[in-house]
Amino acid sequence: MPVLPEVRHVRAFTLDEALSLIDDDVVPYAGATELVPAMRLGVRRPEAIVDLKRINELGGVDLDMATNAVRLGAAITHREMADNSVVNEFLPSLAAAAAHVGNVRVRNSGTLGGNLSFAEPRSDLSVVLSALDATVEIASAGGQKTIPMKDLILGAFETCLSPDELLIAVTVPFEPVGMSYWKLKSYERPTVGIASLPVEGGWKIVVGAATERPEQTTIATNDLDAVDAFVNSLDISDDLSGTPDYKRSILRSRISRIVALP
Amino acid sequence: MSTPVNIAFELNGRKIDACVSARTTVVELLRDTFRLTGTKVSCELQVCGVCTVLVDSLAVSACSMLACDLDGTSLTTIEGVMQGTELHPIQEAFIETNAFQCGFCTPGFVMMTLALLDREPNPTVETTRDWLDGNICRCTGYQPIERAVQVASRRLAEIESDSD
Repeated sequence: MPVLPEVRHVRAFTLDEALSLIDDDVVPYAGATELVPAMRLGVRRPEAIVDLKRINELGGVDLDMATNAVRLGAAITHREMADNSVVNEFLPSLAAAAAHVGNVRVRNSGTLGGNLSFAEPRSDLSVVLSALDATVEIASAGGQKTIPMKDLILGAFETCLSPDELLIAVTVPFEPVGMSYWKLKSYERPTVGIASLPVEGGWKIVVGAATERPEQTTIATNDLDAVDAFVNSLDISDDLSGTPDYKRSILRSRISRIVALP
Repeated sequence: MSTPVNIAFELNGRKIDACVSARTTVVELLRDTFRLTGTKVSCELQVCGVCTVLVDSLAVSACSMLACDLDGTSLTTIEGVMQGTELHPIQEAFIETNAFQCGFCTPGFVMMTLALLDREPNPTVETTRDWLDGNICRCTGYQPIERAVQVASRRLAEIESDSD
């Protein structure tokens, strides 16, 4: 017995073609890492699926030395990001995070666009990209727009994308010196992810995985009260990877150590 | 009705033309159509690794890949690993080090080891663990599998230097 429900399949070769097709019941996919399990579990029941893998416009890494940024096509896989020389040179924390997403097989098939569009809360990339003030290009048959990464994800498995919109690229400013991303991972997906980067007088901190979406703040050097206030303000998810108290305790100790750095 | 999709791909070195239903997964095509049952199915979430196959030399989960996406690729399964009637050095190494007991996870581990040694012919224990992190074995406790990878790595290096 097939494990997947009946579905129509369309292979798109250009972006315009894909945009003319996608809608409520006609959903795009590339790696299928998230879509196939979601269809098997009955969480998604599209009438048709649109293969984006042969659309050249969705691939590639473009280095822009004029704006000090790297533009990543949405169909780039985690492995391609981890291996890419431009990503490694200008966005080393992103390359390192991509090199440790899920497992080897997930990294070989899963894509940047799929990871962000699915908005699984326990994602590394959304935390790193939020910290870097990345922007996201969104296209629909009606036109294109660019939004800040932090506005893309609204909650668990929920983005601001409407069904006729497609995330086509992410543009990431060069990583500043002193940035880091740390995660606690007991199994497959992160339990807690923390990105930090130095700003004037302190640290910008972005927390993810333990929360429904990436949450960010700025904390002055050594301001442990602010660490407490931030950690206590977060709505922490309670799941098999740990209780909210446990995750809060990890966040508190880890962020306290970061902000103690000069 | 699911769309019938014509695909052309290579399966263990043989050219295949097939018409598959859009909802057929790679592991269903392998096991149900081609009767290649060496590739196993378990978690169906890309977590356990028993369905690991190589598509264009990259390890993927056959449970979560659509068969129609095989078009234009080269697919290697555990059945394609033997060299004629000889076991592959990785398979020999698994036997020598007792790197399996029930054997259900073994095809997946062999395929992942093949991908690992293709990319990193001489991996450290840390690299090995990193690569095998997504393959689950409930019998061995993993240490014999790590030894198998080391033994296979040495054996392949010897074969390489003999052929020079």
